[in-house]
Amino acid sequence: MNHDQELISIPCTVDIPYRFAAGKYLSRFLLELRDRGKFFGIRCPVCRRVQLPPRIVCAVCHTRNTEWVELGNEGSLMAFTIMYLPLTDPTTGKPHDPPFCYGSVKLDGSDSLLDYFLNIEPDISRVKVGMRMRAVLRPRDQRRGDLSDIKYFEPIE
Amino acid sequence: MKRNVAIIGGGQTYHAARRHDVNQVELVNEAVRASLSDADISLDEIDAILLGNMEFFEGTHLTDCWLVDGSGAYGKPGLKITTGGTVGATIVGAGVHHVASGLFDKVLCIGFEKQEEGDTGAILSAVAHPLYGRSVAGAAVGYFAMMGTSYMATWGATEIHSAIVAVKARQNARKNKYAHLKLDITVEDVLNSRMLAYPIRMLDMCPASNGACAMVLADEKTARDRCKKPVWIRALETVHNEQFELDWRDVSTSKPLFSRIGAERIYKRLGVRNPADYFDVFEIYEPATWAELVWYEDLGLCERGGGYKLIERGITEINGDIPVNPSGGVLSTNCIGASAMLRVWEATLQIRGEAGGHQVPREPKRALTTAYGGTNWTVLTALAKDLKD
Repeated sequence: MNHDQELISIPCTVDIPYRFAAGKYLSRFLLELRDRGKFFGIRCPVCRRVQLPPRIVCAVCHTRNTEWVELGNEGSLMAFTIMYLPLTDPTTGKPHDPPFCYGSVKLDGSDSLLDYFLNIEPDISRVKVGMRMRAVLRPRDQRRGDLSDIKYFEPIE
Repeated sequence: MKRNVAIIGGGQTYHAARRHDVNQVELVNEAVRASLSDADISLDEIDAILLGNMEFFEGTHLTDCWLVDGSGAYGKPGLKITTGGTVGATIVGAGVHHVASGLFDKVLCIGFEKQEEGDTGAILSAVAHPLYGRSVAGAAVGYFAMMGTSYMATWGATEIHSAIVAVKARQNARKNKYAHLKLDITVEDVLNSRMLAYPIRMLDMCPASNGACAMVLADEKTARDRCKKPVWIRALETVHNEQFELDWRDVSTSKPLFSRIGAERIYKRLGVRNPADYFDVFEIYEPATWAELVWYEDLGLCERGGGYKLIERGITEINGDIPVNPSGGVLSTNCIGASAMLRVWEATLQIRGEAGGHQVPREPKRALTTAYGGTNWTVLTALAKDLKD
C-alpha cells in the first residue's frame, strides 16, 4: 500500500429529538421555582439530609423521601472555576462568552451542592471559596420551569 | 473469589491525538493482536470477548457489533460494556466475574477510544440532566477546576503543587514508549501554559487520545499451564455516588465518598493496614493534576490534606517510596474507553517486571489501580504476583 495515500474521513452530525420527563418530584421543585420563586429541598426521614433537587428516594438510606423543606435563596460557594474556554451551552447551542465564573453553591439548609453561573467579575481576587451567595431569578414572565429560571448567583455584599 | 483469575497477557496500541491511519476496527485489532501474541494464545482458544468504550464517543452505537472483525468476537459469546471513564476497569471486572464463576476459562477484554472521531464535549453534555445542570455541563475540565479551587482553599496547596504532578506525569511518559504526551517540561512550563479553567492550565489536563488496550484473563489451571508470569487479580471494588450529588468536589466534605469507601472495602478484603506499605506501585485515574492529589488522600497514602506534601517531597516518583503512575497516567494518555484498562495493564507490566523504561526499580509484587467514571463512581482493582498475597 502507498503510505502517502489520501485517508478519507467525513464529518457527520447526529441530531436526536427526544422528550424528557421530569417526574413529579422534580416537576414540583421546578414549578415552585418558576411560579413562586422558591427553592425546595426534600428531607430523608432516616438520615435527615436535605437533598437538592428533590427526589423520590434517598440513595443512601433507600427510603422514600416525603418531607419538603423550603430553602432560602442564599448559600455558600464551595468550589468555583473561571472558565476561559468558549464552551457551548448545550441547552441553547450557543457558546458562553469566556471568561466567566461558575461554581458549586450550597444553599442554606441543603446538604447538596448546586452548580450554576456566578455573576462575579472573572478575576481571581474577586471570587473565593466560602463566599456568601444569593440566587437571582429571572423575571416571572421569562421563567420556563427549568434551572435556567435562575439568572445567576451573585455575592452578598 | 470462587476461582482464581489471572491476567495471562495483554497489549496496547501506541496512543496519539491523530490515528487517521486506522479506523476503529483496525485500532481495536492492533491491541487484540498484541494481547494474543503476548499471551501466546490463539483467538480460537478464547471463550468470550468483552468490549467497551465511552457511550457514543465516536458517534456510533453498538460498537460490539461494528467492531466484530477486529475484536475477534465473530461466533463467540460476549458483551459490550460502557460505564464512563471506569469502563476499561469494568470490562476487566466483568471478565474476572465470568472466569471466577466458572462460565469461561479464557476471556479477552478490550477497551478503546477514538476520540478524534467524536465531539466529546457535546456527548458529555448529554450526560448532564436536561433540566438540572446541563447548561453548565460539557467539559470535564470545569469539574476538576472546581476540585482544584476547593483543594487550595481547604488545604492551602498552590498551583505549584498541581504543576509538579503535571511534570511527573509527562516526564514518566517520556520513559513509556506507548504514551501520548511525552513532554520534557518543568514546573515553570506548566505555570506558563494557557489557562483553560482556573486553576487548570493546558498542562494540568489530560490529552484527547486515540488508542486501545486488550487483556487476556484466565482461570488458575490455564494460567499455570500457559503463562510464565501470571498476574493475579486479588480483589475488585465498584462504588457509585448518588445522582445529582457533586459532593466529591468539595474536598473538605466529611461524607464517605465513593473513592474512600472503595479503598476501605478493598483494604478490608485484603487485610491491608497500611496501603503505602502493602502496595508497591499504584496506577490511578487522574484526568487532571488535582485528582492525583485527591487520590493520594482517598487511598489513604497520606492523611486528608496531605496529598500536596506527598508530591512536594517526590515520594510518588518512579524511584520514590510510593510510586504512582510510572506510566505517565491518564494525564499523558487518555483514550478514555481504554484508560482504566491501561491502569490495570500497566500495573501488570510492573509486576511482571516488563514495564521497560518506566519500570519501578524495587520489583513490585502488589499493585492497586483506580478509575473515575463521570468523577462520580470508581472501580478499584488489586493485583499481585503471588496468589498468597
